Amino acid sequence: MSKKLFRIFGPIILAAIIVFLLLISPSHFGFGNVTAEIQKRASVSLAPRVLKNKRIKEVALKNNYVPFFGSSEWERIDPMHPSVLAEKYHRSYRPFLLGWRGTQSLTQFFVMQNITKEMKNKKVVISISPQWFVPTGARKDAFGFYTSQLQTTDWLMHENNSAMDRYAARRLLTMPSVTSDEVIEDAVRNVSKGKKLTSFQQLYVKTRQRILTQEDYFFCSLYIPSTNEKLVNKSLKQLPKSYNKAELDKLAVKLGKQNTTNNRFRIENSFYNNGMRKEIGRLKGFQSKESFLKSPEYSDFELLLNQLAKDHTNAIFVLPPINSRWQAYTDLKQARINEFDAKIKHQLKSQGFNNILDLSQDGGIPYFMADTIHYGWRGWLAFDRGVNPFLSKPQKTPHYKINPSYYSRTWQQATLQQLKNFN
Amino acid sequence: MLSFEPYEDPAYFGILLLGLLPIMIMMLYGHRSRIYENIISLFFLFLTFGGPSWHEGAALIVYMVYETCLTYFYLHYRKNNNKSWVFYLTVFLAALPLATVKISQQTTSNIPSLIGFMGISYLTFRVVQTIMETRDGVLKKINWVTFLEFVLFFPTISSGPIDRYRRFEKDYRSIPKRDDYLEMLSKGIHYIFLGFLYKFILAYFFGTYLLPQVEAAAMHARGGFLDISWPLIGVMYTYSMDLFFDFAGYSLFAVGTSYVMGIKTPMNFNRPWQSHNFKEFWNRWHMSLSFWFRDYIYMRLLYTFMKNKTFKSMTTAANVTYVLNMMIMGFWHGVTWYYVTYGLFHGFGLVINDTWLKYKKKHRESIPSNWFTKGFSILLTANLVCFSFLIFSGFLNTLWFK
Repeated sequence: MSKKLFRIFGPIILAAIIVFLLLISPSHFGFGNVTAEIQKRASVSLAPRVLKNKRIKEVALKNNYVPFFGSSEWERIDPMHPSVLAEKYHRSYRPFLLGWRGTQSLTQFFVMQNITKEMKNKKVVISISPQWFVPTGARKDAFGFYTSQLQTTDWLMHENNSAMDRYAARRLLTMPSVTSDEVIEDAVRNVSKGKKLTSFQQLYVKTRQRILTQEDYFFCSLYIPSTNEKLVNKSLKQLPKSYNKAELDKLAVKLGKQNTTNNRFRIENSFYNNGMRKEIGRLKGFQSKESFLKSPEYSDFELLLNQLAKDHTNAIFVLPPINSRWQAYTDLKQARINEFDAKIKHQLKSQGFNNILDLSQDGGIPYFMADTIHYGWRGWLAFDRGVNPFLSKPQKTPHYKINPSYYSRTWQQATLQQLKNFN
Repeated sequence: MLSFEPYEDPAYFGILLLGLLPIMIMMLYGHRSRIYENIISLFFLFLTFGGPSWHEGAALIVYMVYETCLTYFYLHYRKNNNKSWVFYLTVFLAALPLATVKISQQTTSNIPSLIGFMGISYLTFRVVQTIMETRDGVLKKINWVTFLEFVLFFPTISSGPIDRYRRFEKDYRSIPKRDDYLEMLSKGIHYIFLGFLYKFILAYFFGTYLLPQVEAAAMHARGGFLDISWPLIGVMYTYSMDLFFDFAGYSLFAVGTSYVMGIKTPMNFNRPWQSHNFKEFWNRWHMSLSFWFRDYIYMRLLYTFMKNKTFKSMTTAANVTYVLNMMIMGFWHGVTWYYVTYGLFHGFGLVINDTWLKYKKKHRESIPSNWFTKGFSILLTANLVCFSFLIFSGFLNTLWFK
């Protein structure tokens, strides 16, 4: 009997032992070797698995890649896109694009948890979208879709019970994705209450972190879509040999004109055809009540600032414009945009984040936008003119002073008159 | 609070192994502890229907009380009487909760969340079958504990395979010899690991990795005649592979777990992609369901039609029954145009299939049969089946109307 039983269960037990040893082994068995080719592909792929993955970013940021945090704007790849310009004109940096449709501050905070070491004393670019700052705040499904358990365990391993950690824990507990692991959920609950992790939780989180890191190494180079890389390579060929501001602007206008012929909003033809054309009647005036003034997102955004301060990372913040023809058609009031700008700038400047590139008033410039809210040809050029000097030239060391009251509901709901209470 | 959908989580398999270990040891030493088996069953039912799904658990309990009373009543009644209308009424009442859930799923009503629970279809199949066999006089005695154990058998609770009461009872009452049990154990473990390959590797690849991409491409390529495009063909095959590996994988888990518990739950799939025609396909695909429909709907409808001489020719009666049978199966999947169309497609497919087989029989000499015709028929069947799954997927609904 024992012989037969061994024949049935022997292979399973052996397989289980081998897999467990592989996963907790300190050696990576030669995996996690991220080639320059993969780094380049990943840096523009925008794939959720790249947001979740740690290893590729770790390697890329040690080279000359700089994280560009944002959301759907990175998708609009044309010859003036920052990734194309940086490669064509041999800049000292290459953008590593992080963000896709639906990524918001909270997602980006957890994406940062994997690369805090690589961000220390370095520079990053953060593109803010007013559309994140809606009354409902971060979308729960999107958060689960873009973040990974490895980010949570990395964060838990270096949390030190600061206001930032407690707030992040409270937010994480409102997300459905946290329930996938009971022990980790309990650990996060402890952090939210300002308690230390129990020794069991410590051991568990550490083991999970180890296993997840190993998995991250094993699978990092697989399945990275190359669609965007091809777009970048195609776009490179359309640019003049050397950088010339006037010449590039002319090309941008030309491309913009060519690609916005089927609608009155100067929206890229393919974007307009793809879903917008049918809806256009219904969209008239639909943003008349839109406001970005009161949102839990302001505190989630504070998490980002706090993390930057903790790592002494120098950041430039870009405030994007909105296509002004679109804005008029949908009746989005300029006053609402200006309110948002004032509030977010207050939050930034009062804490020492002074590198702000404000493009929010430029939505009326022809061919500045590729569609409704995303940069296009001339918009990308303006973006580059602001961001390139920041990244290429040495910058003064910033002095941040974080104010935890930005985590309060009072701040989330604050009106312009109440800004002076937060300094 | 621990809570799992069956066979979805590595932790579920870990707990399953721990729970089954004592059963394995007892079986090897010639014991079957009904008490332990029932405790384990209840525990796993609690994992699935407790905690956040407690409302489903409550619905399940109410449902079981109702169905057990109904079955008990009919068994009692059948001892001395056999009126048709009582039988029909009992079957109708037994299927009523399921029908209500299925019909109201298409509306905004909250009935499904109130009386529905995971696996209600499969429980209903088991109950209805028990009532029908009682009418046939095949089932004269029902042990109520075994009846509950049969209907609520946890490895197959959520999606079958659909066992038969008499077969189940025979297994449950006996203890296999040690060598036989070792054989079953070896098969069971093999099935579970084949299930891992099917569900967590192949179905993951087709369903989670590939399908969203081809679907997005097909949505993007809309605009042509009926929105047909190359990516749509991709959706058709990708969805078919996902459906097969996902469900066959799940079925292997259910059968494998049953084997470890010493119950030979019938298989659900037997290489369906090598069928030469639709008829053979339904003898190889989701077999426990199609056999259920064959035995309890098709045969009975056909018998009724013939007894009442509803149709002049036997062929017409058979054909009408094919279409009705498959249409009912379509409705069972859900009251939407695509499930019903899928059912009708297979119903008429079976009619054409049957007509052709009869024609072939008559003209045996003049119709060639060689490796080419066999290969061709396999290819044709597989492609038609994939096309029917495209209808079934509901993707056309999204493509055309969303």
